[in-house]
Amino acid sequence: MIRQSWWKILAVVILVYTILAGMLIPLKPGIAEVTPRALQAGTEVELTVTGYNSYYSKAKNELRAWLKLKGDVVLKAARIEVLNDRTMKLHFILPQYLPSDSKDDACSLILDSPIDGAIVLPDGIALTQDSVNLLEGKKLWSVDKMDQLNAGPKLTFPYRSVLYESIRNQYFHVPLWFAMIFLFMFSVNFSVRYLRTYDPDADQRTLALNRAGFVFGLLGTVTGAIWAKYTWGAFWSWDVKQNMTAVALLIYSAYFILRGAFQDEEKKARLSAVYNIFAFAALIPLLFVIPRMTDSLHPGNGGNPAFGGEDLDNTMRMVFYPAGIGWTLLGFWVASVAYRVEKLQQRLLDA
Amino acid sequence: MIWNRLSLVCILTLLFQQMAFAQQASGDFLRSIGHIYVVVAVILIIFFGIVLFLIYLDRKLTKLENQIKENE
Repeated sequence: MIRQSWWKILAVVILVYTILAGMLIPLKPGIAEVTPRALQAGTEVELTVTGYNSYYSKAKNELRAWLKLKGDVVLKAARIEVLNDRTMKLHFILPQYLPSDSKDDACSLILDSPIDGAIVLPDGIALTQDSVNLLEGKKLWSVDKMDQLNAGPKLTFPYRSVLYESIRNQYFHVPLWFAMIFLFMFSVNFSVRYLRTYDPDADQRTLALNRAGFVFGLLGTVTGAIWAKYTWGAFWSWDVKQNMTAVALLIYSAYFILRGAFQDEEKKARLSAVYNIFAFAALIPLLFVIPRMTDSLHPGNGGNPAFGGEDLDNTMRMVFYPAGIGWTLLGFWVASVAYRVEKLQQRLLDA
Repeated sequence: MIWNRLSLVCILTLLFQQMAFAQQASGDFLRSIGHIYVVVAVILIIFFGIVLFLIYLDRKLTKLENQIKENE
């Protein structure tokens, strides 16, 4: 029993790990909000910073903050006033001139704490000056240095505004598609086998794998729609990848309808095997080629960079890759149960 | 048997309606605590999706079992 179903046990172990690690590892501390967002040169300003997952009070005396302009010029905060773990006030004395040749510029805010590590809010704050004096500006801004930044907690997922905690959906929404692709891939394999041997068993395997793959595809679409609602603003944004998966799922739903249209078992099996091969041949360009050719909201498509770099760090990989394996194994488990039901039904029909 | 399963499907639908209602009532519930409930919703959808597929297979198996009994 254990020798036969070791991969089912493996699936359960991996999925338990995925859910535990995926839900319990905290997000990296981040900056949730900064007000005001527009500063005037030559004034003393007070920035109110709201943190996310941050521990300002714990590192009260070791907190540092800088405004950073292009070309690595920084201005250190004159005074930092911690209200609680999530809020602090930064006081900056802005020089009269900016190290910039235009009246408007943007700067990043960088916080550093031995507990939270260094946190960057990129280009989030607008700076304006009344008159331009590049040389004087460079001189005024070259007093402070930014050095010895802290590394911060190691075991964290990236903090991304807009995504926030929903970055964890990477372990639940994305692997469903991996599972679907693998299930459909194996079903094509059995379709080819059916056409070569006319073994009804291969046809039953194809049907079961397609059923499971279709269920996973539908779940992927629905979970994607929920995630999209809270990151892109709508359940369905008519994004190219959303549309193409909808087309792909319609093609596969036609597979099941096609099967229902035949009385003769052999004709049914043969035609659906041929159709299944064409369906998979359509699936690959629909999911992997067309979305890359135009702009898409999905990462890794069109003008959008792939889910990588800061979106997928090593801690995330530690959960994401096992999650892909775990959900795929679960897909095959579901398919194998569907296959056994199909097999039993066929045996009863033949008897 | 069939009634058992139908009632289960009904309960699941009611649950989903309740969830949708709770969402409407408290506006930004899914956005609270850094969108964590979006992840919870996704996991629940996957769970119930797979459970519904299991119910479908279960009903099929029941039919087959009844057929086997008749044959005997």
